Amino acid sequence: MDIFLQQLVNGLTIGSIYALVALGYTMVYGVLKLINFAHGDLVALSAYIGLVIMMQLIGVVSSKAVIIVAVFIFTAIIISIFGVLLERMAYRPLRKAPRLSAVVSALGASLLIENGIMLIWGPMPKIFPASIVPNINWNVGGVYISLMQLLVLVISLILMIVLYFFVNQTKLGAAMRASAIDQDAARLMGINVDKIIMTTFIIGSSLGSVGGLFIGMYYRGIYFNMGWIYGLNAFVAAIIGGIGNIPGAMLGGMLLGVFNAFISGYLSSSWALALTYVLLIVIMIFRPTGILGERVAEKV
Amino acid sequence: MLRKGLLGALALIVTLMFGTQAMAGGVIKIGVQAPITGKFASEGQSIDKAVRLIVKQYNEKGGILGKKIKVYTCDDEGQAQKAAVCARQLVDDGVIAVIGSYTSTCAEAAEPIYYRAGVLQTSDGTSDTLVKHGYWTFFRNSSPNSAEAAFTAEFFIKKQHYKRIAAISDYSTFSTDLTNAVVKDIKKLGGNIVYKGKITSGAQNFTPILTKIKSFNPDVIYFGGYYTDGGLIRAQMEQLGIKADFVGGDSNDNPEFIKLAGKAAVGAYLINVPLPQMLPYDTAKKFLKAYKAAYNEMPASIWTLFNVDGLRAILYSIEQTKSTNTKKIAYYMHNKLKNFPGITGPVEWNKNGERVGSAYMAYRIGNDLKYHIVYRH
Repeated sequence: MDIFLQQLVNGLTIGSIYALVALGYTMVYGVLKLINFAHGDLVALSAYIGLVIMMQLIGVVSSKAVIIVAVFIFTAIIISIFGVLLERMAYRPLRKAPRLSAVVSALGASLLIENGIMLIWGPMPKIFPASIVPNINWNVGGVYISLMQLLVLVISLILMIVLYFFVNQTKLGAAMRASAIDQDAARLMGINVDKIIMTTFIIGSSLGSVGGLFIGMYYRGIYFNMGWIYGLNAFVAAIIGGIGNIPGAMLGGMLLGVFNAFISGYLSSSWALALTYVLLIVIMIFRPTGILGERVAEKV
Repeated sequence: MLRKGLLGALALIVTLMFGTQAMAGGVIKIGVQAPITGKFASEGQSIDKAVRLIVKQYNEKGGILGKKIKVYTCDDEGQAQKAAVCARQLVDDGVIAVIGSYTSTCAEAAEPIYYRAGVLQTSDGTSDTLVKHGYWTFFRNSSPNSAEAAFTAEFFIKKQHYKRIAAISDYSTFSTDLTNAVVKDIKKLGGNIVYKGKITSGAQNFTPILTKIKSFNPDVIYFGGYYTDGGLIRAQMEQLGIKADFVGGDSNDNPEFIKLAGKAAVGAYLINVPLPQMLPYDTAKKFLKAYKAAYNEMPASIWTLFNVDGLRAILYSIEQTKSTNTKKIAYYMHNKLKNFPGITGPVEWNKNGERVGSAYMAYRIGNDLKYHIVYRH
């Protein structure tokens, strides 16, 4: 039972990071019907930028809590700017072009960011300073959970709840949903669709930057090409949950993390990755639009 | 005319039978075949500098057998084709022994040429195949890959007395081969492997597999992959409350390992050949001091020192046999040279030209986050 619960904690931690990143994919897909392949690389970039900001603040600011909050806020702002620039330069000029052109442009942007990181920071891994988050570990009846894991879980959960209410309860959220259903109709209702798309990129990039910072602060080692692995997993999570569906991305991320942990724990870690794709295929066969995907199907 | 031809043929036969003699009278010629340029330039230059330093030290004392030593260097750029060209060139120069090359590939490409010419060769190449050709001219001055596995197994069973051993590798050939060899050698010594598994390098989240390993209740986890994963495994072991020891293979030996693992690095064991400045022998300290004084830098790596040991052993053997006949010197090195006090530990060779004993050491990372030698041969 200890082992079961421990694997659940392991899975939920990495799963909530996947979920945060998956939200970026799913929100952009929702409004633009475009897979933003550069999103994973924005996540990697956020870890690097966060590290730079953190190193600047350490020594100047003594309170660790202040440093952490500042790093999250500044990184989210910078990555949002990158997200908006990405949309302006790589996607907006191609909005009327065939779908394939936009996909190629997205892949190009992904390579540009990835190699840009390598040129600036080099191919060797960069390492976050130890104990910026105090190294506290609790043993709850044989299940170990660290302060960092708890932070990842709680902050992710809060962000997802806030996002859910933002999309469903606010005017801007309603405009976002309207743009996702039909852009032309939304425009006729007086919604500034370009502004909505920009907002989507800002929110998606900010959530991704939180994910990237969690990766950096939890695992501590960051690589220029890690955006690819996390991006792929988050993308799979978004599809499992139903791409374009916000609660679906959250569910998909958690499910993927837990599924991976249980496969590694009870079957074989060698098979974890392969069986993840088996899960994806099985879900696609029985629910082509993902687990929570009906609403996507309805709006077409 | 006929007589001259006969004489020439006779000379050739004699040469072939007794190996190459240094006919040059006044000097003994030693070759260096090393990557002076290219990817491994720093290693190659370091080897060349070290050889010249040793030779200078000898010449200042009057050389050996009353003759001065002269060094010929050829740059093989770390490429096999260039290595073959270098080998022929050095043979033409009339060297009796060659130090090199740095890479196994280049050493192997040059091996048959030196063998046919009867020129001694000593290389730090670690590939197991280097000593499998049966060339009497070849002497490996480092430890082969298989020695690491054997040493690791001994450390586990004879020193640490581990009872329940878990082993992890990643999917690379290097890591899989090393880990398989370690597991095999541990079993040979009667060790108990409770778990063997693989991780995806770069996956970062190793808590699932570690939680599984925890359920086997091991007293040690061996990891035969790279430091980028090893450091995280060590950190996540502590996070999951796993009390088992951690032992990492040679590719975990990197300063970044400690940075990644953070405080969890304390108590981890690493197995590798030592850094030059960690060698405990007096000869090593003396040599490093001289090298620093001559070049105002440290040798590029331990591999330079292995080559220096090869050179010193050859020069010592020339002195002992009072001969420049390579056959005689090789016979002495194969059979008579025992426990020669090398910079990297005692030097001696078996019949295949494999260095006996291994330079591998086990380190424990202490509270000061520095390496402390806990086990060596």
